[in-house]
Amino acid sequence: MPRSSYDYPGYDRSGPVYWFKTISLYAGVIFGVLWMVAPFYWTVTTALSANPSSGIVTIIPETVTFEHFRALFAEYPVQRWFINAFIFAGAVTLFNVTFDTLAGYAFAKLDFFAREKIFLLFIGTMMIPGMVTLIPVYIILSELGWVNTYRGLIAPLIASPFGIFLLRQYFKSLPSSLGDAARIDGCNKFQAFYHIYLPLAKPAVATLGIFAFMGAWNNFEWPLIIATSNDMYTLPVALFLVQGQYTDNWGLVMAAAAIMVIPIIVAFLSAQQYFIRGMTLSGVKG
Amino acid sequence: MATQESQSTAETTRTRDRFLGSIRREDNLAGFLFILPNIIVFVAFLFLPVLFAVYLSFAEWQILTGDLTFVGLENYRDILYPLPWENDWRVLQVPTQNLWWWAVTRTMIYTLGVVPFSITGGLCVALVLDKRIRFKKAFRAGYFLPVMLSGAISAIIWGWMLNLNGIVNNFLAPVGLAHNWIGDPSTALGVIMLIAVWIGIGFNMIIFLAGLQNIPDELYEAARIDGTNKWQRFRHVTWPNLQNTYFFVIVLAIISSFQVFGIAWALTEGGPYYATTTIVVLIYQEAFQHDNMGAAAGMAMLLFSIIFLFSYYQYRMRGNDEVTY
Repeated sequence: MPRSSYDYPGYDRSGPVYWFKTISLYAGVIFGVLWMVAPFYWTVTTALSANPSSGIVTIIPETVTFEHFRALFAEYPVQRWFINAFIFAGAVTLFNVTFDTLAGYAFAKLDFFAREKIFLLFIGTMMIPGMVTLIPVYIILSELGWVNTYRGLIAPLIASPFGIFLLRQYFKSLPSSLGDAARIDGCNKFQAFYHIYLPLAKPAVATLGIFAFMGAWNNFEWPLIIATSNDMYTLPVALFLVQGQYTDNWGLVMAAAAIMVIPIIVAFLSAQQYFIRGMTLSGVKG
Repeated sequence: MATQESQSTAETTRTRDRFLGSIRREDNLAGFLFILPNIIVFVAFLFLPVLFAVYLSFAEWQILTGDLTFVGLENYRDILYPLPWENDWRVLQVPTQNLWWWAVTRTMIYTLGVVPFSITGGLCVALVLDKRIRFKKAFRAGYFLPVMLSGAISAIIWGWMLNLNGIVNNFLAPVGLAHNWIGDPSTALGVIMLIAVWIGIGFNMIIFLAGLQNIPDELYEAARIDGTNKWQRFRHVTWPNLQNTYFFVIVLAIISSFQVFGIAWALTEGGPYYATTTIVVLIYQEAFQHDNMGAAAGMAMLLFSIIFLFSYYQYRMRGNDEVTY
């Protein structure tokens, strides 16, 4: 069904007014997109240009050099930061996906005692600002001696009310008759979940996985607090510290930023529909 | 005949009840087992810490010995006093006292600046990209790209672009508008707001797009037959049907604005001259730089109550589920 006037008969697609409208519309959109994308572009070009701190920055660098990247890798344990970020984000994702799928299914399809109340209690925690729990969690973990360890980094981020909410919404949209049929065929509760519903929920699980991974990959506050030595930092924190040490050498800082930015662009372009679907699922039904 | 029938009915009922009862029992056990991992994690890392935070806000924690001493309302008194109207605000050009109210003010300014721009911006972009327009998907991807980036990283990249010798000043210098945007206390918060709007437009755009796509085309069709113009269709079809969406977007934007940390910390660490010391930046500094866990927990509880009261108010406001066309 046509929604814009464009598709209606009698809509005049010529004349100065039409062209003025069309051109200004596209100009506005393109200007906005440039504003959104330019920082990414300049990150990469600054990292690649020979002497970016001089203040004269051209749109296309005259000489492309990997000197900044080489200096960065020579001076810092960048590989270690990468590995840390992967371990951190990977473990958080794995736990989140497993636990939240189970809980989301239970809240959607199993009729157990005080289900709605427990669900509200879980969801209500989304309102608590991160800083409220970060301080006590930090104290508890420092008493346990978990500061500056992978355990300490990963453990507090396993709880994700958002993931439970997302999966519950999705499982609710699947018909209950499937589970009843599986039950008549002799499946127990877990088998019905594992063999019937889980395969159907793949898109939602993938969405949650990507969200959890990005959330942890981008997480700044928690690693900043819990990681105290150079070899435990994840990429955002490490970049922040590199920037603090090299306020003059922007080429180096931007090389570090580019290392952070490029995987994100690649991940986004390859899994764009999952991101947008996840935002949609969480947004519209919230 | 009649007795036989009632007997069989009774039996069916009994079997059904037994069947349902067994399902109920099974569901109780299975449901509990399914949520058990989450219960453990939630209790350990959310419920207990919140209770601990409440206690901590009435206590003093010695970082070296690990001793907790109860101090009553002392933390809250230190945070809240002197009250804003008793405070010497001239001193606050370099605020050495009462940073709490200073941080609340900075956070309010930030929220008032970011929320309207990121929401109207997101709505405008969504309205345009919902239409028939070429390269729609590429444009959407472009607007969404900043959302993918950690706020801290965005801050560092914008820090490079806006520094004294940076690209933006490179363009502004010929017009005579070059300025140390980040080093000047009167513009530093504006830079942070700019970055937040940069991220927020794409985020809100996606949510608005989803809301727009849920509006049935028939409504537009009918409005068109009634002879409405563009503005009338927006005002009486699009806007009322987006009510749930913008309610959600506004609440989310305000709550996350109250909690801004990554951008402010990575760009300026609360400076220059406390210009970017928002509430969460102040809490972080108190807790992890001044080792003042009790006061930090008190501030976190105050922030929590602000957010809670705000959400509750919003929820009550929304109580009547009516759409005004």
